[in-house]
Amino acid sequence: MRREVPLIITFVVGMIVLFANIVTSADGSDFFLKAWSTEIENWIIIVSAFAVGLATVNLFRIHGDNITRQRPGWFNSLALLLAIVVFAVVGSIARLGSSEFFDTLNPNLYDAIIAPLSAAMFAMLAFYIASSAYRAFRMRSLEATVMLIAAILIMLGKAPVGEMIWSKFPTISTWLMDIPNTVGQRAIMIGAAIGGFATSLRILLGIERGHLGGAE
Amino acid sequence: MDWKKLQNIDRRIIYILLILATVIPMINPIGIPVSVGASAQKFYNFMDAIPAGDKVLFSMDFAASGAPDIVPEAKAVMQHLMDKGVKVVSIAFWDNGPMFADQLMKTYEDQGFEYGVDFANLGYIPGGETAIKRFGEDVVGSVSKDFRNNSISSLPIMEGIKDTRDFAAVIDFAAGNPGTEEWIRQVQGTLGINFFVACATVSVPQAMPFVNSGQVTALLGGMRGAAEYETAMGKPGGAVAKMDAQSLGHLLIIAFIAIGNIAFFMDKKQAR
Repeated sequence: MRREVPLIITFVVGMIVLFANIVTSADGSDFFLKAWSTEIENWIIIVSAFAVGLATVNLFRIHGDNITRQRPGWFNSLALLLAIVVFAVVGSIARLGSSEFFDTLNPNLYDAIIAPLSAAMFAMLAFYIASSAYRAFRMRSLEATVMLIAAILIMLGKAPVGEMIWSKFPTISTWLMDIPNTVGQRAIMIGAAIGGFATSLRILLGIERGHLGGAE
Repeated sequence: MDWKKLQNIDRRIIYILLILATVIPMINPIGIPVSVGASAQKFYNFMDAIPAGDKVLFSMDFAASGAPDIVPEAKAVMQHLMDKGVKVVSIAFWDNGPMFADQLMKTYEDQGFEYGVDFANLGYIPGGETAIKRFGEDVVGSVSKDFRNNSISSLPIMEGIKDTRDFAAVIDFAAGNPGTEEWIRQVQGTLGINFFVACATVSVPQAMPFVNSGQVTALLGGMRGAAEYETAMGKPGGAVAKMDAQSLGHLLIIAFIAIGNIAFFMDKKQAR
């Protein structure tokens, strides 16, 4: 029963949502399944919010273990847990209470710590890209050469200086994005959609059981 | 010449050159003109045609990592809409989204605009694609309180809003999933809304098929998109100012690629 009940729930819920979006009443109005599907969607939103709490519990378990066992880098785990507690407390008081201090502190903590640190982390990518462009981006094969030429044309087309050098660079860049890129992206999307459809069908029918966890 | 040594140059030299190429034009702008592309012009024309009093939905689906690319776009479009008297409602399906919406709105509150009348921040809804579908079909049923803990029904701006078709346009400020594809699958395709995308530069290739099919009416791509929008408005701002740095950065990367490949081929030739 431990495995059968989740599989039955998956199938029933999936079929309700699927048919609610396909079937309409004879007079064109929503079928009764639509109301059930809407209720299920509300439950999914609530469960997703609960999943954040679950993830936090897991973080405390893993990083708490690192701290108690003094594993290498345990101080990073301590910093993480302290940050979670501080942000959770400040955010909760700001949201639920009516303290002007916490109302100001909450966005300020985000603007002063999270936003600049996240932006800085991603800004570092530019340096890695520059370094790898110099060291690794080589015309070793025909494909690499085509990719390199396309990349250079796109860069010159998108940066204003490219149009200054030659007025046709933006036109070439737009053509590359509109035609070859779109062709490739459509092919990937269609393939991914077919794969997603097949996987979804397997999950609905209980053939795919990875989402249940544990041994088969 | 030692081509092998040139290929393995100390990476700190590369980092320093990149810093100089991006910082110097920000201190001493060059003023390279920014032309307005077809998509940005279409985006601008549509927003410009929205009558005063109508409402536009901002879906703030990005985190701090995508902010340097997307916030300039949001600022430019918000400025245009506020100047025209168009009202803005924001929602987010990424947890960081409401913070950026709040920052944006506070700027206009300081200028005399009123929260709840000229704009509102409906906060964040978890649940990804399901949440987008739910919100798209029933705005008021999905959110009971806004980001500032006000009841939705108490906000004058929410009067007459049932679903996303009641907005003149929906603009997805997107950096990934959930974002553009989810909006198109669940809302644009089923309800036929006027859907626009203002995304990070790296997301533009994935969004292009939807632009070409007409599912996305128009697209702004990254900082360049924001600069084009500012130029179309006739009010060059922060995004245009940063284009010089982007231009020099791009030229430097191209130079690195060229030098690296020349060194590679000359080294191969020497080895023979």
